Amino acid sequence: MNDNLNIARDKELLEGLARDDDKALKTIYLDNFPAILRMVIQNNGSEDDAKDLFQEAMIVLYEKVQQGGFDLYSKLKTFLYAVCRHLWLKKLQGNTWQVALSDGLEETLPMEDTMEEHQKRDEQFNVMQKAMGNLGEPCKTLLEDYYLRKLSMQDIAEKFGYTNPDNAKNQKYKCLMRLKKLFFDQYAG
Amino acid sequence: MKDQFQLLQEIERYLEGQMSEPEKAAFEALRKADAALDRQVNEQQAFLDTFQQYGRRKNLQQRMDKIHSTINTEQLHAKPEAKVLTMRKAGYPRRRMLTNLAAAACIALVTSLATIAIMQQAARQKSTSQYEDVRRVLNNIQRSQNALIKDMNNNKKAPANPGTYGGTGFAISTNGYIITNYHVVSGADSVYVQNNKGEAFKANSIFEDISADLAILKIADSTFKSQPLPYTLKPQAVRLGEEVFTMGYPRDEIVYGKGYISAQTGFQGDTVAYQVSIPVNPGNSGAPLMDNEGNIVGIITGKQTTSDGIAFAVKSFHLKRLLEEMPKEKLPRREWTRKNNLNTLSRVDQIKKLEDFVYMVKVYN
Repeated sequence: MNDNLNIARDKELLEGLARDDDKALKTIYLDNFPAILRMVIQNNGSEDDAKDLFQEAMIVLYEKVQQGGFDLYSKLKTFLYAVCRHLWLKKLQGNTWQVALSDGLEETLPMEDTMEEHQKRDEQFNVMQKAMGNLGEPCKTLLEDYYLRKLSMQDIAEKFGYTNPDNAKNQKYKCLMRLKKLFFDQYAG
Repeated sequence: MKDQFQLLQEIERYLEGQMSEPEKAAFEALRKADAALDRQVNEQQAFLDTFQQYGRRKNLQQRMDKIHSTINTEQLHAKPEAKVLTMRKAGYPRRRMLTNLAAAACIALVTSLATIAIMQQAARQKSTSQYEDVRRVLNNIQRSQNALIKDMNNNKKAPANPGTYGGTGFAISTNGYIITNYHVVSGADSVYVQNNKGEAFKANSIFEDISADLAILKIADSTFKSQPLPYTLKPQAVRLGEEVFTMGYPRDEIVYGKGYISAQTGFQGDTVAYQVSIPVNPGNSGAPLMDNEGNIVGIITGKQTTSDGIAFAVKSFHLKRLLEEMPKEKLPRREWTRKNNLNTLSRVDQIKKLEDFVYMVKVYN
């Protein structure tokens, strides 16, 4: 019975996460981090390792949820734990796939698909981060303001001191084209 | 340069839905006619998606760092259990909702269980005629002269009666844990395992998984000790077409068989098993299925009677799961070797090494 309750609760939390609800994120984070911390420390990792590992797993979860159509076929805790184990195992072993059974660190769920997807996204993210780093100001902030923070052209023109929104717009296109070039120089796929 | 700006602007207006209907229609017509434009539109869309994803991830990382900074990790080290519990409580829905949820869940559970039971029964009635467990029905005539002599020479306490049913099993530890099929040992009064030298040992079934058709046997003699295991378990899925081989006891002698994975699911789409194109005969049940490197990838369970050369093997993942589910005090855990000693050997040498770890399972009832 308890399991069913947990599943209902997990579902609610995931819906919250999809809506970018801070409270849901916080609950998931605080509920699950201690277990991962323990696992990492038991396996000779540091607290910082645990933090990195767990946040990466949360990113996997978040992006899956955001994408929609994510069916949780296990408990949320199990899912996060499995992702973390997988990432940790990979970190420990380099890229070898042989799992010795004596090791306590075995996967608990088959994760290959999820991980492949994550790897692709991760690569995109890193390239984008690098491209944004190389882009320089004011382009970086301008693009972030328009595409991510969704400010209007009018507000952006005022913020950056352009005489009118059209000038800001031209500047934005210039920036976007530079970013695209930086991105596609690095990323072929 | 100017043209490109204009084009980009048009594309962006189109994607953001700022165009008026006639403009949009015109643009779409243009897009249909001009493949280069169409590609640019798609590229812009994909790029913006990637960019947004980048933004969302950045944002999430910031939010998580903020949450993380509120955690007192010292406290977590000191009393992890207590901390987890209190946090759980805070997050639970109210009591009344709990009762409602519980009732709803109960009904759902009963309904689904009933449905599953009915469906399974229907399926079983339909399909038993085509599926055959490959355990062997033994009788005295089938027993070879050879084995009888060995028994006498060795003076081991093998029972005179050769058993009612036979199957195969293989060692999963050095101290006498053996895995075989559940259907081989189900309903057994007593179980004996016999190695390729003809030595027999009394064994007990200590853990069974009916759904995956697996059973773990333990040799009753607590002083039993074998050589270190040469193989490892590979829990990942094996790819279609991978070459595999098996060794089992369809006769009193160990028999080698070679084949390949022919489908990722077993009998009638059963995801627990692979379909393997390999010759198996009654007695092969419980035999290990190994890949070229000598990793365990499955356990032979049965074959299809309506056509030749189609066998089924439970995936090794389920064996690993079974080992994980086993109560801790029964677990043969540390016994698994870290390294696979077979991967560099030729097939003949692999078989030579393996022979000692594959047992005939004899069941009396």
